[in-house]
Amino acid sequence: MPEPETETTSELPDLNPVIHGKLRLALLSLLSTVEEAEFTWLRAKTSATDGNLGAQLQKLEEAGYVAVEKKFVLRKPQTLYRMTQSGRQALADYVQALKQLLGSAINS
Amino acid sequence: MTSDFEADDVARQELTARLSLIETMIAEGRQKTESWGWTFVLWGVAYVAAIVFGNLGAPIAEWTTFGHRALAWPVSMIAAMMLMFVYPALASRNKPSSPDTAIGRAIYSMWIAMGISMFLLLLASGNSGRLDQQLFVAIVASMLATTNAASSMILKWRQQGLCAIVWWATAVAACFCNVTQCTLVFLAAIFLCQIVFGAYGMISERKTMARKPGAVHA
Repeated sequence: MPEPETETTSELPDLNPVIHGKLRLALLSLLSTVEEAEFTWLRAKTSATDGNLGAQLQKLEEAGYVAVEKKFVLRKPQTLYRMTQSGRQALADYVQALKQLLGSAINS
Repeated sequence: MTSDFEADDVARQELTARLSLIETMIAEGRQKTESWGWTFVLWGVAYVAAIVFGNLGAPIAEWTTFGHRALAWPVSMIAAMMLMFVYPALASRNKPSSPDTAIGRAIYSMWIAMGISMFLLLLASGNSGRLDQQLFVAIVASMLATTNAASSMILKWRQQGLCAIVWWATAVAACFCNVTQCTLVFLAAIFLCQIVFGAYGMISERKTMARKPGAVHA
């Protein structure tokens, strides 16, 4: 019986590339704990720049993992981000894949 | 061969770092930046103020008697309630508001529901003349015990569980003590479970908030 090959991250087809980015992974992890979050809160938690944060959130939105709502509160614009059901599922699948890969790496 | 091992090691480290990042961010998300310790102190001071104002010019034993001192409790409670809303609004100006979590909503729902029940029950029973001081303390203490106990179980916060035990003991003691003893027991419980516990909560929150999350880059 052939031994399973140890994979490097560049050869990991099971890891979702949309989630694998550090900031996107951090954002999804943060959003998984709250119902919805303001852009400013996400920025404070990740210490990311406005431009980078906006770009990564847009990628998550395009993938359907995050829903955006823009509104005005006391005449101030507020952007709220919420994790979608498919985002939650994608994160769960990612964690599962990560654990399997780590397990196989330890066993190999 | 060596380079294969090195590549595997790098990959393993990267995967572990990703897993660690998820754990860190989940912990960050759950960490509330709101401060609640001060509310315990506020309500503790409000209870003491109500007792003191209810007793101006009267023996300490009569502080729940309805009459001209009857407004002491409703006024103190309403003032504390208003401060609860005004202070956070002023303090959170120009700061990102902390988002709702399921745990946070569960906790404040319990406290709000308990507050409404206590206010209505005490106001109605006081007005109907069916409330004496021991019963008053027993009701307040048991409601506070229940809410503190539920909150401590949700938050897995042992110190709050101890407060619940003190409140339960106060509720039971109120049924057996005379009026003066009952007042002293009530004041001791307020001091321990509201003022001391609140101050402890404020110190803990300050320590937690001082810990800043590391920067995450794409």
